[in-house]
Amino acid sequence: MTGEPGRNMLPPTNEDTCGPYFPIYFRDPALEDLTRVDSGVVGGPAGKHIILRGRVFDRHGNLAHGVVMEFWQANAKGVYRNPSQANHPDLDPWFNGYGRLRTGTGAYTFRTIRPGASEGRAPNITITLFSDGINRVVTQMFFDGEAANATDPLLSSLDEEDRERLIARHDGRTVDGAEVYLFDIVMAGENETPFFDDFES
Amino acid sequence: MTRLGRQIAVGPTDNTSDQRTPRKRLRLIPAAARDSFVPVVPARFRANPTEWDLTRIAPDRPRATGVPIEVKGTIRTDNGTPLRGALVEIWNANHHGRYRHIEDNSGLELDENFFGMGRVLTDDDGNYRFWTISPGAYLARADIGRWRPKHIHLSISGGPARLITQMYFPGEPNNTTDPMAILMGDAFERNIGRLYDTPDIDVDQGFQFDIVIGGRNASYFE
Ligand SMILES: [Fe+3]
Repeated sequence: MTGEPGRNMLPPTNEDTCGPYFPIYFRDPALEDLTRVDSGVVGGPAGKHIILRGRVFDRHGNLAHGVVMEFWQANAKGVYRNPSQANHPDLDPWFNGYGRLRTGTGAYTFRTIRPGASEGRAPNITITLFSDGINRVVTQMFFDGEAANATDPLLSSLDEEDRERLIARHDGRTVDGAEVYLFDIVMAGENETPFFDDFES
Repeated sequence: MTRLGRQIAVGPTDNTSDQRTPRKRLRLIPAAARDSFVPVVPARFRANPTEWDLTRIAPDRPRATGVPIEVKGTIRTDNGTPLRGALVEIWNANHHGRYRHIEDNSGLELDENFFGMGRVLTDDDGNYRFWTISPGAYLARADIGRWRPKHIHLSISGGPARLITQMYFPGEPNNTTDPMAILMGDAFERNIGRLYDTPDIDVDQGFQFDIVIGGRNASYFE
């Protein structure tokens, strides 16, 4: 965690909406497919390939167009590439765990590897949304059929209905062997996806 | 007393905010899950060395229409540490208020000499600098005559620091009616660039915009 709040802390710049025109020009295919390796290069991340697919909806059930989605996950062995794990023997040199895409229509497809379980947690992927009209909101998705879901501290902090809203459904596999998971996000209103934050009100 | 997460407010007169703002309180992250919520953005981005100058599409092309300005500042975390090697992605409307984006259907004039998107990296002291054309204000809601004040979009990512924000301009009349500015309240001041003189360089105005990244997702800052 960061230093104790209030002790010589500079006041943070406000987040602001990213607006409707986040440049498609900034897209990076390597951040939309974390299994991708440049052509001619030998290598690639360890782990089972998965495709995470879904739609982002607004309060009226319409697709939320122009949303920027960011993904953050552990590698196949459950290790995150963060400063506290810098010397971890199970870091994967071919895997950073950070992804980003912008969905024009509100439907998205993200290719990655299935994360392993990190200590005390069920396998999960953190998803951040930036969009017009809001500042970022953050949630986590889990995989259906995982035994560890039953004891995950985040899922356990929610009621049954909200837990279900964070679990991606398995939907077969592609011809090249990637397991497909479906995960829809409802930004507001009925069936709203639970979003998470650190700040108490 | 039960600890409660934040209730996000809907931006007044902002339809998209009404459609997309979660209505339930944000849930507090259990301590055991805290670390997993902080993405660390790999330093794998390359900014094109000519992209810092948005006033031209390329060094050998004419200058875009409008007022050329410089924007510079220092990016720090909330404990004062400079953010080195961070990627700053910049986008702003042209002089007429139009984005070179396929979904901008405003019909406002495009400027064939203005691209409106660029990337720079912060140096070892956390400093960044770019040139652009002072953006036009644009009509956000024709039905009630609400304009978006002049602004430049900035997205900052580097390690555990992640921020999408906007720089506004001092003294603009539309600042006071902007939904997001209203939600910021007095803190809106932090998002206004400070005017400085630029007599010796090839731009008409300079704006200092120092950025502090903190608050949410602040784990892993030293
Ligand atoms: Fe804008």
